[in-house]
Amino acid sequence: MGRLKLGDFKNNHSKKPTANCSRSKAFMHKLLFFFILWLGIVAFVPAVFAQKKYTISGTVKDATTGETLIGATVKLQEIQENGAATNAYGFFSLTAPEGDYNLAISYIGYETVTQPIKLNKNAQVNILLLAGNSLKEVSITGNKRKNENVESPQMGLTKLDLSQVNNVPVIFGEKDVLKTIQLLPGVKSTGDGNTGFYVRGGGADQNLILLDEAVVYNASHLFGFFSTFNSDAIKDVNLYKGGMPAQYGGRLSSVLDIKMLDGNDKDYTVQGGIGLIASRLKIEGPIVKDKGSFMVSARRTYADLFLKLSPDSTTRGASLYFYDINAKANYHIDDKNTIYLSGYFGKDVLGLKDNFGTNWGNQTATLRLNHIFNNKLFLNTSLIYSDYNFIVQSFTTNNNFKVTSKIRDFNLKEDFQYFINNNNTLSFGINATQHTISPGDIQSNDNSSVNPKTIQSRHGFEASAYISDEWHATDKLNLLYGLRLTTFSLLGPGTINTYDANDALVSSTIYGSGKVVKSYFNPEPRFSASYKVNDLSSVKASYNRNTQNIHLLSNSTASSPTDLYVMSSNNIKPGISDQVAIGYFKNSANNMFEFSSEIYYKWMQNQIDYKNGAQLIANQDVESQLVYGRGRAYGLELFLKKKYGKFNGWIGYTLSKTENLFDAINNGNYFAATHDRIHDVSVVGIYKLTERWTLSGTFVYGTGNAVTYPHGKYMVGGLTSFYYPDRNSDRLPPYSRLDLGATLEGKQHKHFHSSWTFGVYNAYDRKNPYSVTFRDDPDDKTRTQAVKTSLFGVIPSVTYNFNF
Amino acid sequence: MKIKYQLAVLLFISFFAASCKKVIDLHLSDSDQQLIIEGNVTDVNTTQIVTISKSVSFNSTNSFPAVSGATVKIVDGNGNIRNFVERSPGTYASSAPFTGRYGQKYTLQVQLNGQTYSANSVMPVQRVNLDSLSENEQTFGNSTTKTVAVQYQDPSNQVNKYRFILTVNAIQAKDVFVRDDQFSDGRHVEALLYQDDIKIKTGDKVEVEMQCIDPTIYTYWYTFSQQSNNFDSTTPSNPPNNFDGKVLGYFSAHTTQIRTVTMP
Repeated sequence: MGRLKLGDFKNNHSKKPTANCSRSKAFMHKLLFFFILWLGIVAFVPAVFAQKKYTISGTVKDATTGETLIGATVKLQEIQENGAATNAYGFFSLTAPEGDYNLAISYIGYETVTQPIKLNKNAQVNILLLAGNSLKEVSITGNKRKNENVESPQMGLTKLDLSQVNNVPVIFGEKDVLKTIQLLPGVKSTGDGNTGFYVRGGGADQNLILLDEAVVYNASHLFGFFSTFNSDAIKDVNLYKGGMPAQYGGRLSSVLDIKMLDGNDKDYTVQGGIGLIASRLKIEGPIVKDKGSFMVSARRTYADLFLKLSPDSTTRGASLYFYDINAKANYHIDDKNTIYLSGYFGKDVLGLKDNFGTNWGNQTATLRLNHIFNNKLFLNTSLIYSDYNFIVQSFTTNNNFKVTSKIRDFNLKEDFQYFINNNNTLSFGINATQHTISPGDIQSNDNSSVNPKTIQSRHGFEASAYISDEWHATDKLNLLYGLRLTTFSLLGPGTINTYDANDALVSSTIYGSGKVVKSYFNPEPRFSASYKVNDLSSVKASYNRNTQNIHLLSNSTASSPTDLYVMSSNNIKPGISDQVAIGYFKNSANNMFEFSSEIYYKWMQNQIDYKNGAQLIANQDVESQLVYGRGRAYGLELFLKKKYGKFNGWIGYTLSKTENLFDAINNGNYFAATHDRIHDVSVVGIYKLTERWTLSGTFVYGTGNAVTYPHGKYMVGGLTSFYYPDRNSDRLPPYSRLDLGATLEGKQHKHFHSSWTFGVYNAYDRKNPYSVTFRDDPDDKTRTQAVKTSLFGVIPSVTYNFNF
Repeated sequence: MKIKYQLAVLLFISFFAASCKKVIDLHLSDSDQQLIIEGNVTDVNTTQIVTISKSVSFNSTNSFPAVSGATVKIVDGNGNIRNFVERSPGTYASSAPFTGRYGQKYTLQVQLNGQTYSANSVMPVQRVNLDSLSENEQTFGNSTTKTVAVQYQDPSNQVNKYRFILTVNAIQAKDVFVRDDQFSDGRHVEALLYQDDIKIKTGDKVEVEMQCIDPTIYTYWYTFSQQSNNFDSTTPSNPPNNFDGKVLGYFSAHTTQIRTVTMP
């Protein structure tokens, strides 16, 4: 009966992926009703009919470091073909009838453990896995290689293998998860040295970037040349391009979930690296052996130290660096409770003595408590702080000022996981976030050309609740389905202006503290299913709706620290995206090769751009400067990955289109988004040449960005002016680049290990365009010429890494 | 404020990126010829000028076809009509000199081939005085850049928008300089005219024209200035103007004042 109902739900669903608001509301209620009914059946019917069952639960950890292992496979060999995966805290729960079993625990890169279990009562086990000898190919005999990408109902998910990240060559030798993500199909960058990324046509601000659950607003250092994520401190990276599980919400196009290392709870270790422009150091160790540990990882660029050697005093007075610190501590209070505290602090500083200074950075802090109620119910409570601010300062006497801008979140989350039975895992929870945006505070002295001014802060409260079930319906059919409900309220205090469609001021109202200015409610259904054609291949389908209430105002491709954030309001509606995707997944050669192809279509509503000549910084009336439109994106992604062996890597290809529509632009016709990239190819290869040498290479090719070129010219005010017929109707020349890398492992010492990493960025010196500008030909003033600016030629790099 | 930020980007790029510029060939399709109307009314007693021309394709030389045979007049808010005569092809001059009045609304009307194009512009309520010009030097690496700064007292409690035209040794700098008083209302302002078109040297004769312009024209020139901005890759667009039909150019009633200085 339960399955019948779910079948109804699925059919309804696929018929109306783009249902309009009022229709979808009624549909939602119906859906919710069936959902609750279904859960009741799943939860209670088996309890009535089933034979005596017991549950075995526990945590899987690395035997050497005590790091919990996320996504390890745990199964009772006698009765399960696939088993269960450990959750984000290494926890698992399995239920089976009374009996004798072999419990097998496996994880990529680790030796499989098989342990006999006599199941005659509920049991708890903690399992330690030994990392395979990294210098040899990991032994996998005796255990079937994992075929999760075929098996799992999840679509659009890429788990980044950090050992691969460490081998992928990158600019200046700074390994970087965001740069590696840009090498995946469906993920695009906009050119040289930019960490901003665009997932399936979504904007760079439509990615939910989480570091230990805290939102990172600006994930780039130095205008996007480096990301804020120091690979040394990272344990796990998951990118969801579609089919997002219901526990994630708040951004339209993707979720990048990054988890920091917990720290070694057995032994003290030090790891570091010295590179051309940055150095890094990580220290970790036990607080109380086997009970608690800490990890601190820091890095700083020191290119600016060379400025100090300059003979010129202005250059000596220039500052140009960034640093960041990741820190984490955890303590295992007892078998039921573990506490974690983690934080990130990063800052970029750029300036010229006596002239100007600017700095910006993110701060996040996450306090978490894992509580195991019983062997089936797991709760994580998180208290999260997240902050991004920038300061621009001018020191000259007549133009003295300091502008501060800030966005800050406090977030409380309760995430439950209920392991109902081996076929159903239920996730549900609530989330409450308080947002504060302080767009601008200007300070200046009396002689300055600039007035002191404070732009009113805006306060928002976002609350959501979700429920989601992963259901192994049959041996062939797996489902992941859920619903997320989100409310957002813009709250006083403040003077709130309302603008009409022509951005003329209609009314201005003063709201008291905590008074609701405007509220939005959005249900977000999420659905993803896989159907196994055979052991090595499956077809999948997904639909998801996401909404977004924090919007970035930027039409620039470069990551700018002064980008401004606004909340949904009486003028700005929440962004909404609906995505449908279908895919075919196939593994071969004992799961050594993974192949996937996905087709997606995405509709985006309430997209924001700003008017020509808009003044955004420190503008109280910024909402009068905006225009609203919609977007659509569709494409095909092909991905072939070789996971193991001396040679491994992947090839990705994307064929796609991303278009926007704004009434005021292009006569109200669809036009290509700047990051629209029709063809996108990336190839990553890593080859283990000898015990000590590993070689790597990446190649990327992509259609040039959509740009607006002048097609005519005329004269006004004595200046040559350009005529632009259509928005983004031209293309920059195609982008391509080859990067090469090599790693030399040092000789193995008992307590000390070192390696050298060499890299060549842009090996064939391709002058990829950063921009094309137009000017009068200096040799013939009656002619106009196009000038291409490229940022990087060949850039070699070398880094020395060590750990002890 | 934006300029300070752009300096930061420049500093960064000059250090990290071996940025290189290269002239490239683009095969840009020809666009339809567009009509350009440029009209100005200033606060000095002079023959006011309106020019009408056409655009050319990107690859053509800069000889822009003049448009003759238009009927041109400017009507002020009190209904006074000033007729214009075609002095040379495409250049229309007021039949008598006149002075633009502060706070007065002017309407430019152009009739051409049975079509009427009109635009409104309001002369700002006062001419803000350009107090002085000064020189500002910046040294970075081995090079010293001389930049001209303008000084003026912004009137408080009114919206003021400015445009500056920089001429060095009788050659107009290609950069468009605009400024408003959103952050400097009522302040004594020193504004630097940053540009990299002309390298200014000691002894150069520098001339700056200061115009007080209306808000629509400010947006026009501000958008114009972003066309050549390669720091933040803003999508360029045709500057929005004050004409009611599909025509490029602008009509501006503005004040004018010129100061000159010999670079120390």
